Amino acid sequence: MADEFPFEISPMFEGERIRKDNMYVELAGPKSKGFELVRAADMDDVVDDKFTLIGPDLADMEEGSRYPIAMIYKIAGELVEADLESIVERRNHEFQNYIQGFMHLNQRDDVWLRVGKDAVKKGMTSFEPVAKAIMMLFKNELPFIEKVEAVYITDMAEIEKEIENAKAVYKARDERTRDLHDEDVDTFYGCTLCASFAPTNVCVVTPDRISLCGAINWFDGRAAAKVDPDGPQFAIPKGEVIDAESGEYTGVNEAAKRLSSGEYDRIKLHSFFEYPHTSCGCFEVVGFYIPEVDGIGWVDRDFAGTAPNGLQFSTMAGQTGGGKQVVGFLGVGVNYFRSPKFIQADGGWDRVVWMPKMLKDKIVNDMPEGIRDMVATDEDAADVESLRNFLKEKNHPILARWVEEEEEAPEEEEAPAKAVPQAGFSAPQMMPSNFMPSMPMMSGGGSGGVRIILKNAKVSIEKVIIKKQD
Amino acid sequence: MAKIIAVTGKGGTGKTAITSLLIRYLTKGDKVVLAVDADPDTNLPETLGCETSKTIGDIKEYMHDERDNLPPDINKESVLESKLYEILEEMPGYDLLVMGRPEGSGCYCYVNNLLRGIMNKLVNNYDVLIIDAEAGLEHFSRKIFRNVDDLVVVTDGSRRGLRTAERIRELVGELETDISNIYVIANKVTDANHEKIAGTAKELGLELIGMIPVDEMIVERDLAGEPLFDLPDDSAAVQEIEKIAQKLGL
Repeated sequence: MADEFPFEISPMFEGERIRKDNMYVELAGPKSKGFELVRAADMDDVVDDKFTLIGPDLADMEEGSRYPIAMIYKIAGELVEADLESIVERRNHEFQNYIQGFMHLNQRDDVWLRVGKDAVKKGMTSFEPVAKAIMMLFKNELPFIEKVEAVYITDMAEIEKEIENAKAVYKARDERTRDLHDEDVDTFYGCTLCASFAPTNVCVVTPDRISLCGAINWFDGRAAAKVDPDGPQFAIPKGEVIDAESGEYTGVNEAAKRLSSGEYDRIKLHSFFEYPHTSCGCFEVVGFYIPEVDGIGWVDRDFAGTAPNGLQFSTMAGQTGGGKQVVGFLGVGVNYFRSPKFIQADGGWDRVVWMPKMLKDKIVNDMPEGIRDMVATDEDAADVESLRNFLKEKNHPILARWVEEEEEAPEEEEAPAKAVPQAGFSAPQMMPSNFMPSMPMMSGGGSGGVRIILKNAKVSIEKVIIKKQD
Repeated sequence: MAKIIAVTGKGGTGKTAITSLLIRYLTKGDKVVLAVDADPDTNLPETLGCETSKTIGDIKEYMHDERDNLPPDINKESVLESKLYEILEEMPGYDLLVMGRPEGSGCYCYVNNLLRGIMNKLVNNYDVLIIDAEAGLEHFSRKIFRNVDDLVVVTDGSRRGLRTAERIRELVGELETDISNIYVIANKVTDANHEKIAGTAKELGLELIGMIPVDEMIVERDLAGEPLFDLPDDSAAVQEIEKIAQKLGL
């Protein structure tokens, strides 16, 4: 290898920084333009190992100067397809950093390169051997590439002509990527960065479910797990599908057992009421069940006011956080609102009745069109009563559930304290404004049993006997 | 492996002045230095005579605010690394990195984790890393820097300054960062308090590795807000720093 090229190639040069003092030339970067692009092509359209340079070569560049650069690779092979382009493109970063005296940062149209003075002194006077080395590494490391051809451009006018095309390719790719769903992959990712605050937390990141902190998506998990499989982000094999609708998988349940040290053994990724995802302590938004309207409200960290249930984010976060599975509350990342599987086990958006205006504004364009005006904000409703009136006025789909309840259990309306079966929910009822909102008392993990909601009740009990039913 | 030195101490004792004089000393040789301003008060750039605009705090905020707008499969470590290189101020003989403002209210676990990885790689490009750190050592508790070789506590003549040094030593015991040595430098020393300082340091079991006299040139420049980086070689403080640097094996 060393004989072939006028520079050393080795992974040990990764992370090598070329400082301004030692820089021969800077290419692209924040003060110039450039991009890198890999395109899949037909076998006949690629001349293997061919290199074309449009614009000045390294030897023509003055020491200390700055030029734009574009690097385009055409790849072909029986197994080469458009979906592989971004994976191959990413390797350009890695391979260029293997070259001693060559620094490559970032990706796509944000690339930033520097060539060191020492490298030029040792004979790196042309881009040709650099491109040839990268093409060699592509074929050696990614054997599905049978032919590869490179075009580098250092002429600004040419780059400006090509860059819009590159941006269109990136955009189309992003659209495809956003179309990736839980059913398309066989691996999810876990994260233990929160484990010190939330020891039983089971963070599962899937294409349709961002981490609760909002920072880690499925691709981030994949990237991190690939570099360090034992690091804070790691693979969770999906296993068998138990229930696709609520998002229950054997692999996730096994991971839940392991990560929570046996505390939890079932997690439904897209469920609010039954075996919900655990809530860490870093979540951006907390969802809360409002029994009086049988709907779910959401409040984010930045909202300092009080939700219609009379509680603030911090109070609910305190109650929910710490890695617990708390039925009736759920921590999520903001991006989860954009998921097509958003609490789909419980009716999805049709179940959402309230969120702070700031939060709603952030995601309103990603909400299903029909529901946008029906979800109340802090400007529309500050308490349960005004919320109920708002929902009625807007004819929110949640009303369908009220009718059911009223028909099912009319005699319970008058009862000061009542037991409501798990499957049903309390009918909407007036609530005094000074009333401490009730936390729904949930049966452990939501597996059958009863839900008891006490409203405006004074209860004195001498003795309670709870017996297991045989 | 870069040698990592952190300079800390009670506010007003002159730790930033001493940090910049240590950097001045190092860049006179052929050492490549990474200077880090880890004090939210951010005085080091001015003392070095270097203009910076962006900080690590800014790029963490950028990562936080932009995360849903970035392409979904973009490599965030690579984005953060590039942003970090953008805010590295490249000066002759040294680079300057400013930590800047504290985090906002969101969760920064992930960004900090990426940052730790990037910093570990970055540090390998330097001979010496010198950190101007606030007395609470916040960035150490977040483990952005690991394995500090020498922690230098700067104190003035006051007993409070030396007490701070003692407290910092206790704090170090609680940190997970591995700190090999703790030294004390007394600053603004006069003939009158010279012996008293040495005595108190001994009493508290602190290892005093230098006593910098009151230097009129520094006083004047501080008043005028001028950098200390180009102090003449015959300044009393510069000469004492030279001795200290040698004791630190620089």
